[in-house]
Amino acid sequence: MDPITFSIIRHRLFRVVDEAVITLKHVSGSAITNEGHDLMVSLYRADGSLLMGGVGFLHHLTSAAEACKAIIRRFKGNIHEGDVYLLNDPYTAALHTSDIYLVAPIHFEGKLVAWSACFVHVYDIGAMNPGGFSPDSPDIFTEGISSPGLKLVDRGEMRQDVLDTLLNMVRSPEMVTLDIRSMIACNNVARDRMVSLIKKYGHPTVDEACATLIEQSEKLLRARLSELPDGQWQSRQYMDVKGETAKVCLTMTKKGDSLVFDFTGSSPQSKYALNCTKWASLGGLFAPLFPLLCYDITWNEGVIRPITMIAPEGSIVNCTRPAPVSVATVGAIQSVNNAACATIGKMLAASEKYRNEATAVWHANHFAVFMFGTSQRGGLSIGILTETFAGAGGARTFADGVDVGGEIPNPISRMANVETMEATFPLRYLFRRRLIDSGGPGKYRGGLGMEIALTPHDAPDGGLHYVVSGKGAKYSMSEGLAGGFPGAPNRYVWVHNNETAGRNIDPSFALTLDEMPARKEDISWGVFPLMGKDTLYVGWNGGGGFGDPLERDAEQVRVDVEGRFVTPEAARNVYGVVTDAKSGAVDLAATKALRERLRGARLERRAAE
Amino acid sequence: MSRPVSANLEIRTGKDGERIACSACGHGLAPAGTPWKRHAALREISMNGAGGKAYTGAPEALLRQFSCPGCGTLLDSEMALPGEPFLDDIVHA
Repeated sequence: MDPITFSIIRHRLFRVVDEAVITLKHVSGSAITNEGHDLMVSLYRADGSLLMGGVGFLHHLTSAAEACKAIIRRFKGNIHEGDVYLLNDPYTAALHTSDIYLVAPIHFEGKLVAWSACFVHVYDIGAMNPGGFSPDSPDIFTEGISSPGLKLVDRGEMRQDVLDTLLNMVRSPEMVTLDIRSMIACNNVARDRMVSLIKKYGHPTVDEACATLIEQSEKLLRARLSELPDGQWQSRQYMDVKGETAKVCLTMTKKGDSLVFDFTGSSPQSKYALNCTKWASLGGLFAPLFPLLCYDITWNEGVIRPITMIAPEGSIVNCTRPAPVSVATVGAIQSVNNAACATIGKMLAASEKYRNEATAVWHANHFAVFMFGTSQRGGLSIGILTETFAGAGGARTFADGVDVGGEIPNPISRMANVETMEATFPLRYLFRRRLIDSGGPGKYRGGLGMEIALTPHDAPDGGLHYVVSGKGAKYSMSEGLAGGFPGAPNRYVWVHNNETAGRNIDPSFALTLDEMPARKEDISWGVFPLMGKDTLYVGWNGGGGFGDPLERDAEQVRVDVEGRFVTPEAARNVYGVVTDAKSGAVDLAATKALRERLRGARLERRAAE
Repeated sequence: MSRPVSANLEIRTGKDGERIACSACGHGLAPAGTPWKRHAALREISMNGAGGKAYTGAPEALLRQFSCPGCGTLLDSEMALPGEPFLDDIVHA
């Protein structure tokens, strides 16, 4: 195939996905989709293998491939032009029930030539808690509708009985309808553009280009892996739920042109909903692998071939039915993702050529607070605080992490502005800003996370409730690199202002958590009220740091203090920087002496396990 | 002649063969291709407060800091609960 035609077709495939994403966002009415970009659209080959991975949450690229394959197996001989299939069973392919896949075959002249697949986190799935995240669900049966595959649209005609059955089991069926129609529209656009492409160049040419694209990706990734040193790198993630600690352990081994991700040693599956299935773990490890190792390689089946995953059955990263998994995306999947990011980062740092591609772990701890209750307009309001997508960047080997820079597994994640959230829910923000000291210290500092405080406002029922699945309040999860500290952990605080109502306490004017005089209760797991004068405070993790904090440029530390990125106490105790009390300038002599003392304190004893 | 093991460790060849050494001062830590952390200086501090005001997590969680015994350069850090084995990163010789 001539390289010009190949490049044009490759580029057109990218644009097919881009246009489908735009369609999805325009039709969806959910903030989690069109503000937070909790979505994904990709193209697949006729056999269901990944052809063109799109943007959005990258955990889904491989899982949706498995969804396509599951549909092919289940409906073999009964797949027609214009069909659309729905699948959201985590034990078949999906991540958790809330993330519904709609997959659609693409036919050309009567022949199945490709698939398009997309997902959104639907407004509701009928789980025990509104919005789907159900921290206390005991099993998959209480996590809402769970389909291993059904035909939703038959030859272009909606199967209304099927749709009505689904909508009969969810809260806010009108919003869920919009979610489903947004995905149908998305797949329609993908199909139309693919058919146009094939009409222009002919199916044999496009098919050859697609096969070549996959071969090219495999060849390029194997070549890159061959350039990296052979070795093994380890990572460990802790998650805390109600006093129990679970861990995800990873040993990544690189040999020649292949990589093995081995999760042996991870905890047994939990009774809590932070487990994930094997498909979810596979997606979780690929989410950082695509952008970190394949930033210039097309994300498709060719990238998957050099990779092997070992995930012990019955463990938290490969749970068995009917274990609950509703919190998986911010639970075990995210820890798999974090661990893979950490080990890949360490491998890249061991290569002079690729060291500048290494990163400490980004935004390792989604907090995914789901609000629900009666809105200021009298209807039901369910949705996520989109700040959960506003993560912090991990430090690189040459620069600080980006403050509130997003996250690795979703290159287009973002948060809604305050006004949008206040228009969506009957609440008011007391503050929203960067969280001081949250970035992991290092020669290069991890990016900062944020802190917010919310209180009810104009709420017909006096407030609303929220679901917290905050498994990372005890342990930092954003690992550092080459000595850099992990980022700060998350924190969730219920401020009981109602208990002090008689004392004329009004939290409206509190500018910090410390300024709120009422009783503060640290919470992390379950459903809680935000009623009356209650305040919910959330502070979330910064990115991991890189290198030795004592090697950070002292003047940069001064700038950090001046800009309220770092407290004066941390500047002195962690970075070893002394500033003049009056002028604020760095005291170079005192800084040098302090750093020598702190460095000397490290040499007290030799490590011995 | 040296080859990197991490951003601040490298493999150096000397009279004792190939050894993992601190990139900053050249102090030898361990034979190439073997775990090196047990040959480093270890300092363990509570994660609570370790990085500043926002570090509000569990006091029992430890930040392990592995430093070069020769010059005190911080070589790696890891978070761990007491009794956990070290995370071993090995670049093959």
